[in-house]
Amino acid sequence: MINLTNIEKVYRTSSIETLALNNINLNIRKGEFVSIMGPSGCGKSTLLNIMGLLDEPSKGTVELDGQRVSTYRDRELARLRNEKIGFIFQSFHLINDLSVVDNVEIPLLYRSTNGKPRQTYAKEALEKVGLSNRIKHFPKQLSGGQKQRVAIARAIVGKPEIILADEPTGNLDSAMGNEIMNILQGLNDEGATIIMVTHDENMAKRTHRLIRLFDGTQVQ
Amino acid sequence: MIRHLFKLIWNKKKAHSLLLVEILASFLVLFGLTSLIVYNVRNYREPLGFEYQNAWAISLKSNEDTTELAQKIEMVLQRVKAYPEVESASRMSNNFPFSQSSRNNGIDYNKKHVLADFYVTDENYAKTMVIPVVEGRWYRSADSVGKYSPVVINRKLKEELFGDEKPLGKIISERFKVTGVVNTFKSKGEFMVDKPALFELVDAKSPWDDLLMIRVKPGTDAVFEAKMVKAITTMVAGWSVEVDHLTDSRKTTHNLTLVPVIIFLIVSGFLLINVALGLFGVLNLSIAKRRGEIGLRRALGATGNGISQQFISEILVLATFALLIGLLFAMQFPLMNVFDIQAGIYLTAIAISVVVIYGIVTLCALFPSRLAARIQPAVALHEE
Repeated sequence: MINLTNIEKVYRTSSIETLALNNINLNIRKGEFVSIMGPSGCGKSTLLNIMGLLDEPSKGTVELDGQRVSTYRDRELARLRNEKIGFIFQSFHLINDLSVVDNVEIPLLYRSTNGKPRQTYAKEALEKVGLSNRIKHFPKQLSGGQKQRVAIARAIVGKPEIILADEPTGNLDSAMGNEIMNILQGLNDEGATIIMVTHDENMAKRTHRLIRLFDGTQVQ
Repeated sequence: MIRHLFKLIWNKKKAHSLLLVEILASFLVLFGLTSLIVYNVRNYREPLGFEYQNAWAISLKSNEDTTELAQKIEMVLQRVKAYPEVESASRMSNNFPFSQSSRNNGIDYNKKHVLADFYVTDENYAKTMVIPVVEGRWYRSADSVGKYSPVVINRKLKEELFGDEKPLGKIISERFKVTGVVNTFKSKGEFMVDKPALFELVDAKSPWDDLLMIRVKPGTDAVFEAKMVKAITTMVAGWSVEVDHLTDSRKTTHNLTLVPVIIFLIVSGFLLINVALGLFGVLNLSIAKRRGEIGLRRALGATGNGISQQFISEILVLATFALLIGLLFAMQFPLMNVFDIQAGIYLTAIAISVVVIYGIVTLCALFPSRLAARIQPAVALHEE
């Protein structure tokens, strides 16, 4: 499903060159639940961004469903992100000026889904994460766990095949973290491919495969 | 997407209220300015109705002299006419073209009452001022033998009094008989609105209408003017004589109209520049504050151009809110016929102001929105 070959990522400024990822080779199969672990600054988020087509590698190739994405233009990359990938972030990234349901609808806006079906899909997604009673609330009126559930609803509303979660439980207490993990496992059971960056060994143990990074290099 | 943007703006209405007021104030000032400009441009495009080049107005003031004034005026007129430099000369009331004085009166016909500018002139006035008569003819002295005084009216007065009816030979205000119709006569210059006007035959025995209008040959200079003034003052001792060249009077009249417009234009220009700079700054700041949102939207499927369009659309939606409030005020002007100005002028001014406001906000949003489009999503998400 996702194939990374000889991936290298270098961040350059005028005076400093930082190697964030070095010779990463990775194959994520459809339906897998993979966790990525490693110390801070080891390149986990960079790797996730490259898999999510938000960033380009300095070297190497990224293949999605057998297609090399390096030749894709902005419009094609945006379409792939919108249709194939769902993102969940540690800090939720909800738009505070929009209600819960409006936040969840955003991915559908970019595929020009009409108003009524858009709202129906958003409500369905919110129901799935147990937030159907909070659709008119604003993010500021929600707890951390509820916010993350909204973010999950937003990630799944477009029924993507891949979900990329960057420390989804990082800002939550362990009970809430477990709840979120249960939701992610449920989604994986339904067929979604999930790649999750985490610092929590217990969470990582609940996934099919663990990838460890150290200083930009894959060590496991 | 539009609905989404409306929601986004509406939910941030408190934060946007100052911006909204700025756009609203700009629209209202612009509406005032464009109304003034459209009004003057429309007037300017209407023909003047006469030729001012080589036309001079000679004001005669009898001062202490009270005897045989009419005869003396007639004598001066004949003397002036005799100069080879003078192509035509006529006598009229003191509200000559581009002068500051005016005279008006009500005219009645078939229960209609119209306020019209009155000009008392002799039979040569149309020739002197080169006024084309479009219906009938200009009156002659011989026309005053009857009960009614002959008059020539302009098209505006004809339309208001008679509509589709033929005006020639009609009696108006029970004392005037219409002998002809001229097109327009805008005595206060090109910027004057085409108002109803009536030309009445001067009474040769009247001492009041003591102004002479003359048309001189092209190239006639100040030497002739001095010679003529000297001759007149010799003929009518103790009288004062003043000559106004209509070309100069026209400039003065134009200044009276244009100077306030230019001042208004400069003040409005500064205001609009300030608003534009303010908008530009606010948008730049807003984009800096919303980098996380931009990153998120890119992750969820927005293209760079899509982000750029979103920011432009947001400011256009905000401008639409402000303009809707502004239109509530502006539409009162044509509906209530404020200042007795045609509704079309206000409507044109509204349309221009709306287009200019949308143009300004789009221009202000263009650069910041391009910056937003270039934000790297991975970097923006990481910053948040």
